[in-house]
Amino acid sequence: MGGYIMQLQNMSVNDGSGIRTDIFMAGCPLRCAWCANPEGQTQDNPMVHYAEADEIVREIDRNAVFYRFSGGGVTFTGGEATAQPAFLDELSEMLYDRGYDLAVETCGIFRWERVAHILTRMSTIFMDFKHPDSGEHRRLTGAGNELVLENMARAADLDTELVVRIPCVAGANASDETLARSFELIKQAAPGASLELLPYHRYGEDKYRQLGRKIPPDSFRIPTEEQLERWRAMARSAGLKVVSYK
Amino acid sequence: MVTDRIEKIRQNYVNEKPRISYERAMIWTESYKRTEGKPAAIRSAQAFYDCCSRLGVHIFEGELIVGAIGEFRKCGILTPEFSWQWVDREMDTFADRPQDPYIMTDEQCDFVRKNIFPYWKGKSLEEAFLARLPEETKHIGVDTGIIDSDSKWRQAVGEVTPDYQDVLFKKGFGGIIREAEEHIAGLDITRPDDEEKKEFYDSIILTSKGIIKYADRYADEAERLAAEEKDPVRAEELMTIAANCRRVPENPPETFYEALQFLWFVQVGGILSENPLSLNPGRFDQYMDPYYEADIEADRITADFAQELVDALWLKYSEWVWTISANTADYFAGYNQFQNLTVGGKKRDGSDGTNPVTYMALKATEEVKTHQPGLSVRVQADCPPEFLSAVTHLVAQGTGFPAIHSDSVGYQMLLNAGYEPEDARDWNNCGCVVPHNRKTGEWTAAVNMNFGSALEYALNQGVSLMTGEKMGLGEKPASEFESFDQVKEAFFRQFDYLCRQSAILTVEAQRVHRDQVPRPFLSSCIENCMISGKDLSRGGAKYNIGPVITGIGLAVAANSLEAIKKLVFEDKVCDMETLTKALRADWEGYEDLRKKAQECPKYGNDDDSVDSIALEISNHFYKEIHQYKDIFGSPFLTAFMGISNYIPMGRVLGATPDGRKNGEPSSEGVSPYVGTDTSTPLAAMKSSAKVNQEIHSGGTLLNLRINPDMVQTKRGQANLGAMIQTLFSLGAFHVQFNCIKSETLRAAQAHPENYKDLLVRVAGYSTQFVNLSKSMQDAIIARTEHAI
Repeated sequence: MGGYIMQLQNMSVNDGSGIRTDIFMAGCPLRCAWCANPEGQTQDNPMVHYAEADEIVREIDRNAVFYRFSGGGVTFTGGEATAQPAFLDELSEMLYDRGYDLAVETCGIFRWERVAHILTRMSTIFMDFKHPDSGEHRRLTGAGNELVLENMARAADLDTELVVRIPCVAGANASDETLARSFELIKQAAPGASLELLPYHRYGEDKYRQLGRKIPPDSFRIPTEEQLERWRAMARSAGLKVVSYK
Repeated sequence: MVTDRIEKIRQNYVNEKPRISYERAMIWTESYKRTEGKPAAIRSAQAFYDCCSRLGVHIFEGELIVGAIGEFRKCGILTPEFSWQWVDREMDTFADRPQDPYIMTDEQCDFVRKNIFPYWKGKSLEEAFLARLPEETKHIGVDTGIIDSDSKWRQAVGEVTPDYQDVLFKKGFGGIIREAEEHIAGLDITRPDDEEKKEFYDSIILTSKGIIKYADRYADEAERLAAEEKDPVRAEELMTIAANCRRVPENPPETFYEALQFLWFVQVGGILSENPLSLNPGRFDQYMDPYYEADIEADRITADFAQELVDALWLKYSEWVWTISANTADYFAGYNQFQNLTVGGKKRDGSDGTNPVTYMALKATEEVKTHQPGLSVRVQADCPPEFLSAVTHLVAQGTGFPAIHSDSVGYQMLLNAGYEPEDARDWNNCGCVVPHNRKTGEWTAAVNMNFGSALEYALNQGVSLMTGEKMGLGEKPASEFESFDQVKEAFFRQFDYLCRQSAILTVEAQRVHRDQVPRPFLSSCIENCMISGKDLSRGGAKYNIGPVITGIGLAVAANSLEAIKKLVFEDKVCDMETLTKALRADWEGYEDLRKKAQECPKYGNDDDSVDSIALEISNHFYKEIHQYKDIFGSPFLTAFMGISNYIPMGRVLGATPDGRKNGEPSSEGVSPYVGTDTSTPLAAMKSSAKVNQEIHSGGTLLNLRINPDMVQTKRGQANLGAMIQTLFSLGAFHVQFNCIKSETLRAAQAHPENYKDLLVRVAGYSTQFVNLSKSMQDAIIARTEHAI
């Protein structure tokens, strides 16, 4: 079988160790107001296509030699990687059996029972956390944060490295106060997790235009490097291990 | 941080325009007038000796390592014995030419026209070569851009690596003289062979005495300056310089400083003897480290001062300017002398060879940002991680240095060329990307061959699209080709013809060199020449490796054949006649077809359909070239190296089926065509590694651009290191990165005054961006920048 993907991005170096191929899987339960990959929210737009798992594995094999030397592998991202659980299951099993290092990036909105066994194939789980206030979370992304925190806690109990990622959007979820509360909740849900702060960017704007959609509002701003540094320091004093895949 | 002294010298290097000195040519000419009738070796040696005794002595401000080839600090010299005609034609416009201008005053031009050139009329190497060359070969091989060997008959050969380990540092020139005398004592000159050997040893004694005298004169001058010097610190420096020059190069060096001064004297000797390209310092860290460690151990030197001395040597290497014709400058752009210096890699016994001097060399290039020496590194699979990070750290500085080479593929290339394993393991780089060795005589850049021309003649009945002149073999009209195989056969017929003409060009040039321009000084630096009693030009070295024919336009030829296969024979988008009409029209009026041609698969994207054609062409090239033998009976070698030759070779090439237009650049080495490797560097690397690089013992070259953002962090640099190791595991020999943003390059083009020290990768070497002609600069900006 196969599934819906946006693209395979070879030579990805920011979503796990070494040189990786990112598989952008289409479809997402959330509608984040700042989304950088709006084409990944659905499976029926011109920037998404159906691909057979075999076909994807063949392409991955072509780059395998680069993973070996760099300690890299494959990262499932999206859209939302878990939005096509059967496809993710099949693909990750095929790649796992071939010995590739696997990582997944998820928004945290998924049914645990359906995905748990897939997560055990991963060496790293990147899970987003977007807002500490569930109401605000719903307003900005379309869903509350309860399930995210629940899944975060469960993922923390797996024998897999967990990295929580906060997309820092000034004017939405990135202020000293909001972040301080986020850090606290993460610390409670997943005391052993690492934290990575990702600054908001606007590289997705062209895609909004191509899809005939409205671009995210100007009130969303890119944080400064100084702000990011300050927030990282805050996270460290809150007892979190701060990491960077830059 | 460099010292103030180094910074001052560096500023001068960056800001001064090079000047031409005729002093060497004048002395050389006067000497030849006096030695008419004597054997060629003696005449050459005597002229060298005369230069060493008469050239003005110049110790420039702040210098720690001394020895000048002329009166100017940034200086080029003339060698009329090779060719004076191009200088005569071009010197009035030296200052104005777009690529590599020099300053030469009207008075200087008048002087050389009156006092130097008349003597050489009818006597130069160029004239002898052209007189011997068959008309057919001359038609296709002289200043055509189709097969080009101009640097081998308008210039000296160069392309040699003096042997510091087994000859120079061991014996000094004093020891070489004694050895020559012993050999002479054992000769019987009633035997013709011995007679010739005696001439050789006599020539060696003369050149050795010459370079010792040259050094003595610098010792005298340093002492004189010391006596006058008011600053006691400088006075003491001058006394040390004097002591160094008294000891070396007559005697083996005893300290790191003396060894460095020795190195420069050898370079001066090489320059004065023939103005060579690619006079390679070789494995610098291997022969310098013992001196460094001994000095540190004995507390004779500090690490800082040692670094300053290495920086000073780098500037010396860069202040000499290779004087070349406008045509040659197109092929070797950027005042480049190709003094290739290699660090890292395995020792002769197979163990890791990195040491403190390895890192000093990398640091010097980072600090002084000189275009010389050409810094190469050898990377093996299990090299120390700190070495690989030092290499990728330097890449991240954006200077284009170092040239990164696979230790094991270099080894394999030398084994394939016939070296013993220990010597093969001891390889260094020559010129840009040629694996080489200090026990070798070889023409590493004999001919550049235009692959695109072979295709052009196959499709156009042997006629050049740009000139309308018949250049290749006759062929039936392209419209009569009935299958892709027929097209390919026609391409290879023309291709083989170019190979054959390249071999003829080279053998003729070798014969003239052997008869006319012996190389006693450089032969004295090669171990086996002293044992065999034969000059380098007569095959005196232990290894006489066959001349290298460099293929230009592998990607253009492969992409074009792929386009023909797909458009005409698979998709039947057009017929052969329409396609050739489109090419003759330079695609004007055929824009739709051109677009389809551009969309065909392109080499550099890990697409087997086109990559397999590149493989087939490169394998064929090896087999065809390898069957020719040079004057020593050695098989010719192939290479896909770079230099800037893809620009002039593109200029003479009409439109090609890959969508390229009239006169646009061709492609370099095993690199993809500019702008067509649209996937990732990984795919470009994989495509290039499909070529059997190790059979092309003349070297292979891959240039890539990477986005500087990718290597800003240590982690990014580590990933780059892993990419390099991956590439080498696939069998590739070389990779080099331009790591500068396009915006920076465009800013430098607009405001050169602010970017005088911006180094960029040209092809197989780096040079100052502002010293490149506009067309070269554009070509570099056009190279794909791989971003993540």
